[in-house]
Amino acid sequence: MSNRNGARQPLIAGVHGLPYSKDIGMTERHSGALAILGALDDAGLTVNDVEGITRYVWQPTTEMEMARVLGVPNLRWFGAQDYGGGAGPPTVALACAAIELGLADCVVVWRSRNRSSGGRPWAGQMLAEGQDQFERPFGIVRPADGIALLVRVWMNAFGWTREDFGRVAVTVRGHANRNPAAMMHHKTLTMEDYLASRMIAEPLCLFDNCLETDGALAVVLVAAERLADLAPAGPPAYVTGYAMGSGPQVYAMTNYYGEDLTRSPNAFVAPELWRNTGLKPGDIDVVQIYDAFTPQVPLFFQEFGFCGEGEGATYVASDDCLTYNTSGGGLSEAYVHGFNLIVEGVRQVRGISTTQVKDVTHCLVTGGNVVPTGALVLSGVPW
Amino acid sequence: MNVQIPLPPKPIADRDTQAFWDAVAKRKLVVQRCSQCDAWIWQPRPLCPRCHAADPPWVELNGDARVVSWTALHPPVLAVWADQVPFVVLLVELDGAAGVRMLGQLVDDSGALLKTNGDAEGLAIGDRLSLRWRVDEAGQKLPAWTLAG
Repeated sequence: MSNRNGARQPLIAGVHGLPYSKDIGMTERHSGALAILGALDDAGLTVNDVEGITRYVWQPTTEMEMARVLGVPNLRWFGAQDYGGGAGPPTVALACAAIELGLADCVVVWRSRNRSSGGRPWAGQMLAEGQDQFERPFGIVRPADGIALLVRVWMNAFGWTREDFGRVAVTVRGHANRNPAAMMHHKTLTMEDYLASRMIAEPLCLFDNCLETDGALAVVLVAAERLADLAPAGPPAYVTGYAMGSGPQVYAMTNYYGEDLTRSPNAFVAPELWRNTGLKPGDIDVVQIYDAFTPQVPLFFQEFGFCGEGEGATYVASDDCLTYNTSGGGLSEAYVHGFNLIVEGVRQVRGISTTQVKDVTHCLVTGGNVVPTGALVLSGVPW
Repeated sequence: MNVQIPLPPKPIADRDTQAFWDAVAKRKLVVQRCSQCDAWIWQPRPLCPRCHAADPPWVELNGDARVVSWTALHPPVLAVWADQVPFVVLLVELDGAAGVRMLGQLVDDSGALLKTNGDAEGLAIGDRLSLRWRVDEAGQKLPAWTLAG
C-alpha cells in the first residue's frame, strides 16, 4: 500500500453532514463538532483516535477550540489552509501529508458555515486594507463582482454565451432534484427560468450564483494500513493524489493583474495533479467541480485537459461531457465552501450517490478556481 | 435622532501604498515603475517583483486607458449604493504602462457616477477611456473613467 515514493496511503474512512438549512439554529462550533462526531462514528472511530485536525483559515473555530469542544486528548498535527473556497482539497491535502509522512494515523477535516443565517461577510467589511483598498472602494465587494470581470474576459476570448452557463445551472439542478438532501430538491429550473432571472453582477445572473446555506460536513482520514483495525460504515475512498497551485502574481477572486486573464490557478494545479496521481483525464469517471459560479465549470474542463483550450463550453454541451456535481454542488445542493463536493466524491466512490455514475474508480474533486486552490482524486482502489 | 448614514468601503493606506493615495488626493494618478529593470508594477509593492530593487519609484500617468472588462452591479449591494445601481465597474489597462490594470467606476465628464449597465453607452471591450476624478459618498477621491469623446 505505498506509492512510488514509498509513502503510506491516506484514505477517507468516514464522512458526515448535518441537514442543510437556511438557519441551522446552532453555532458553527456546535455544528462542526456534530459533523466530526458523525464522521468518526461512520469510520468506526472515537475522539480518542483523533491525532490531527485541519481546517479552512476562514473557519472561525480553530483546531484547538474544536479539540476542546470534542475532548481530544492531544493533537500532534494541526494547521489551516487559506483562500476561501480554494481551501477544500488543500485542507484535505494537509491531513494527507501528515498521514503519508507517518506523523499521524487519523486526521479530521471539517467545514461548518452559517453562510445563510450568519449574514453576508461582504456586507460588513467597510475598512479596505491590503489588496482590498484598490478594489472594494471601487465597487468590487461581493464574490460575484470579483469573478464577473473575469467571466466577461472568458466570454470574449472563448465565445461563451449566457446559454452556456445556463446549461450548467440546469444540469446541476437536475442532480439536486434527485437528491433529497439538496436545498433545491423540490425546485426545478429550466433554461427559460435561467434566462429570465435577474442580474446580480453582469454578465452573471441569479442562477449563475451558488446558494447561501447553513451547513456542516466532516471527513475522517486514516492511514490505509490501519483500515483492518476499523469497522467503517462504508467502503473506503482512497486518496490517490492531490495538488495545489497558484500561478504567478495571483490575487484571490480579483486575479486581474497577471499576464493572462484567461487562465485560472487551476491551469497550474492540473498538470501537478496528473503528475502526482499518475492518471490522465480519460481515467476519471466523475468530477465534483467547485461551482460557486457556473462559468467555473467549463473553465475546469479545459484547464484540466478534458477538452482543448477555449472548448470548455462546447464540451459541457456535448454528449461526451463527464458527469459533474452529482449532488447538485454549490449551485443547487448547498454552498459550504465546496466541502459538500468532497463528501459527494466519497459517495460516488462508495456507490451511494443519488446520481450515481456506474462503476466509479476515480472521482476528481476541485477547489475554487479563481483563487489559489487545489484538487484531489478519490478512488475505490488503493495505489 | 441619531441617523446612521451608510458609507462606502474606506481605503486604508499602508507604508507601501501611501504615495498612491497621497497622489489621488491631488488628483494625480501614479503607478510604480522599477528604476533598475523598468518593469511596471501594480498593485503597489515594497520591492520590484522582477529584480527585487527596493522602493520602486512612482510615475505619474495621464490616465488614458482602454476597457479590458466590466461588470454592472445589481441588488443586493451595500446600502450606500442601493439607490445608485446599476453602475459599471471597469477593469482598465493604462496607456504607456504595459500590463497595468486598474479598477474604476464609469462616470460622466464631470466625474459623477453614471446609473447604467453600459448598454446605453454601447460599452465594449477595447473602448478608449479618459481619466476623471470621482468623489465618493464619504468624500474620498477615486480615479474613475469616462468614455473618450
